[in-house]
Parts: sequence; structure tokens; C-alpha cells
Amino acid sequence: MSELTLAALFALGLVAFLALFLVVVTYNRVVGLLQRVDKAWANVDVALKQRHDELPNLVNAVRGLMAYERDVLERVTALRAAYDDHAAIPRQAATSEATSSAVRQLFAVVERYPEIRSAGNVRELQDEIERLEELIADRRELYNDQVFRYNTAIATLPTVLVTGWFGWRPRPFFDAEEAAQRRPEVDLRAP
Amino acid sequence: MPLTPGILLAASGIVAGLVLLLRGLQGYRMGARVADVGTSRIASLAAGEVRVHGVVEAAEVTLVSPLTSTPCVWYRATVEDVTDDDRSEAVSEERGVGFRVRDETGAIRVFPRRATVDVPPRFDERSGLLGDAPPGLRLRTGAAFGPGGGAFDPGVPGSPEAREAAIAALLTVRAPEPGDLADFGRDRSSGRRHYVEARLEPGDEVTILGAALPFGELADPTGADLLANASGGHGPVDEETAASIAEARAAGLLVSPEEAWGNAAIPGFGIGRPASAPELDPRATPPALASPAEVERHERSFDLAPDLLVLAAGADHPLVVAAGSPGIVQERQQERFLVGLLGAVLAIGSAVVLALLWSGVIAA
Repeated sequence: MSELTLAALFALGLVAFLALFLVVVTYNRVVGLLQRVDKAWANVDVALKQRHDELPNLVNAVRGLMAYERDVLERVTALRAAYDDHAAIPRQAATSEATSSAVRQLFAVVERYPEIRSAGNVRELQDEIERLEELIADRRELYNDQVFRYNTAIATLPTVLVTGWFGWRPRPFFDAEEAAQRRPEVDLRAP
Repeated sequence: MPLTPGILLAASGIVAGLVLLLRGLQGYRMGARVADVGTSRIASLAAGEVRVHGVVEAAEVTLVSPLTSTPCVWYRATVEDVTDDDRSEAVSEERGVGFRVRDETGAIRVFPRRATVDVPPRFDERSGLLGDAPPGLRLRTGAAFGPGGGAFDPGVPGSPEAREAAIAALLTVRAPEPGDLADFGRDRSSGRRHYVEARLEPGDEVTILGAALPFGELADPTGADLLANASGGHGPVDEETAASIAEARAAGLLVSPEEAWGNAAIPGFGIGRPASAPELDPRATPPALASPAEVERHERSFDLAPDLLVLAAGADHPLVVAAGSPGIVQERQQERFLVGLLGAVLAIGSAVVLALLWSGVIAA
């Protein structure tokens, strides 16, 4: 084998190594992105469940004190009952957005009644639910960010060339806009 | 086949090209990792792999950088002796201590052990032709550790300490000073010195990628709080402190517990005055105790709850600490990758030249 052939083999080997490296890194990137989307969704789900568990405490704490504002309480209660952690993500987003809106309305009512706000542990419950609302908002943003990165990665070169082979499909956003357009149908009668 | 200068040059080109390529591929992987993780807000962090972006704040202690004597939380300093035909490393030192990173929602403690730190050099100067020290060289003459956020925190923007420190730094005129460290026991008459220092200071913008985990899950919180590598890499052992302690012991300064307590009780030495009265030999002079305000400050600085989330290197998630915003970090890694590709071209070109030289197609 001549020296020039050896040099050519070296060059080909280096190019092949570089190509293999990029293929492996690209595949691992997409798999990593997919796992991060799942993890980000799990974190959103945890926060949604925490709020779901906390809401009855607040409703029970203010129920007896809000004789003339029952519709607000019933709306919060009904939306809490509509929460389904097995539902599709856009539907969960719609329910979550509607629940946040109802909770904000409830807080506004509570603000109008200082005696309710100062009663028992209402203030603590309100603070806790406000903290959970912020947590949900932050984690929703992170989830959507991860989905954006994943969806962009599988739709751009060179990954798009193998997206079909591996069955990678775009993931849905936890979309507040979509939620606002598709409010879930809930029964507003008291349970 | 004789080893002619041409053949040696071509072989060097192959090696240099491959080294550049490997560094470029590392940069590509790091850049991809930074790009693939979204930035979390510190207040809503969840356990697991996270990326945070914020400003560095000093924690319990800071470091003093060796070449510019600047308070910092991490530095990497090298001093090279450069002659016309030789280049040798006189000193190479990397050291880091735990710090906090703050964004608009809160702060989180970072434990830097096993971190990959990506910070460009801030001081890169050569000595003059006559061996005179370059402007800005202020070799460290005191301890490597300085006070942290508990006592003096220039990292808190707007704090009185930060303002005073900034004013003092602006008003200080410093002449280049050839310090003792500059000699390093070597005759420099025939060459020049090349000083390079990268550091991370309180107030710097930083992007951190790593594992958020409860403080209680850190296997070795004390070790995890240090990052140290001195010429040749000795791991997290603080060689300088160990040498100082050995020297003090040999000089008879650390012969009894009461004397050790006495040293620790001197304000400004170690961590400050004791919070509670120590059990001392009756002959020892009892130390002055810390004031309630000092105790509260120390507790705030040192006591971390076991369930408090901290950032560290996890089993599956290496810790990356990089200067700048995520976008800037990615740009830096893309540049490294491009340089790596040029390295591949250099290696291939050098291999072809080597083959031509070896086969005698072109003369050496």
C-alpha cells in the first residue's frame, strides 16, 4: 500500500469518524430533548395536582362566610372537578386556564370582604394557592420552551431526514391561548 | 526514511489538527447540551437536570486570584516561560469555591466540584523584553481565600459594600509591581513570561447547567464546595492550605487546642468569632463571642436545610459553569467547533503532505 493511499485512507477515516459522531450526537440530542419534554410535563403535572389538592381547603374555609357569592365558589369547585390528569395536554391546559381565572375571581371577591380574609387560615391558603399559580405559570413556560426546542429539532436539518424512521412526532404545547378559545364545559351546579 | 524537519512539521500538523478536532467536538457537545435545556426560574426549580441563568453572588468565602489579586469565586491561572524555541509552564492553578447564583426570582447555592468551567481569560499579558511586569499584574501576596457574602459582599449590586469597593477600585492607581511570585525560582534573562488568568467574579453573568438536588443528598458537602487543580491536577485537596497548616505546626504555632481556638477567635481570621463559648483549658484566654447579629448572619450563610435545592454535579448530569448568557455560551462553543473542523482539515492536509514527503514526490 503506497503512502498516498494511506493518506487517503486517513482522510476518509477522519471524515467517516466526524460523520458518525454527528449522527450519534444528533440522535442522542433528540432522545434527550424528548426526555426533557416528558420531565417538564411531569413537573407541570405535579404543580397542577398540588393546586387540585389545595383548592377544597380554600373553598371550605370561605364557604360559610360567602353566602352571597356562591356562584364564584361553585365555579371553582366545578372546575376543580373537571381536572383530569389523563386528559390530552391541550384539554388540561384549557381546564387549568379556566381554573386559574376562577381562582383569581375568588381572590377578588375575598378582597372585598376583609372579615373573610382575616378569618382562620384563609390568608395562608390564599398565599399557598398564589404560590402554586406562579409555579404552574413558570413550569408551563419551561414545558413550552422544551416542546419548542424538540419540535424545532425534529423539523430541521439534518434531523428531519430521519424523523420518520424513528417515529418522532411534534408534541403539543400547554397553550393558554388555545385554552381561552376552548373553555371546557363544566357543570356549575354545586356538587 | 530520515526524520527531516518537513516530516516532523507534517507530523506535528496531524497531531495539532486532531487535538483541535477533539476540542471542537467537545465544544459541539457542550453547546448542544446548553442549547437543549430551557432556562428554569430559580423560584420554581424542580429536582433533576436544570439550566439557570443569573448573576454570581459570593457565599461564605471568596478566593483571591493569583495574578490580579481580584476577589472571585473561581479562577484558572497559568504562567508560561516563553523563549524563541521553547515554551514551558511555570505555574498552572485552578480553584473554585461554592457560590450562589441569583435571577429575578431568587438565588440557589452552587457546589462546584467536578464542574467544567467555560470562562474566557480576562488577563492575558506578557512581560516586557527586559523582563518588566505587564500592566495590571498584581500578584497575590496574602491568603488565597477572602471573606464572602457574610462579611463583605461586593457581589450584591447596590449594597454599600459593593459601592465602596467600586469607588476604592476606581480611585486606586496601581503601578506594575514585580512580585516575588514572578520569579518562581528561574532565571528569566533569556525569555519572557506569559500570564493568563480567567476568573468568575461576584456580579458576573453566568449560565449553569447541572443537577438540582436536595442539599441532604450531597454525599460530601464539604468536598463538593471546592474545586482545585494545581499543576498536574491534585484533585480537590487544597495544597496551599495544607502546606500553611503544616508550616504553622512545624513552627510550633498549632500545638494545643486552646491556641487553635484562640486563632479561630480572632476577628477576620477563619470564619470569625465563635457563636457560643468554647470549652477551653482554664489557662486559656476565653475568646470574645460573636454578636447576635453576627450569629444570625453566619447561620444564614452556613446553615442549609437538608431539603433545600442546590446545584451540583449529579450522577447523570455533569455540572457546567459558563460565563455569559446561554446564547453567548452557545456562540463560544460553535466557534470551538468551527476551529475543530479547521483542525480536521489541517490534519488531513498534513497527512497528504507527509505522504508526499515520505514517497519522495516532493522534496523535504
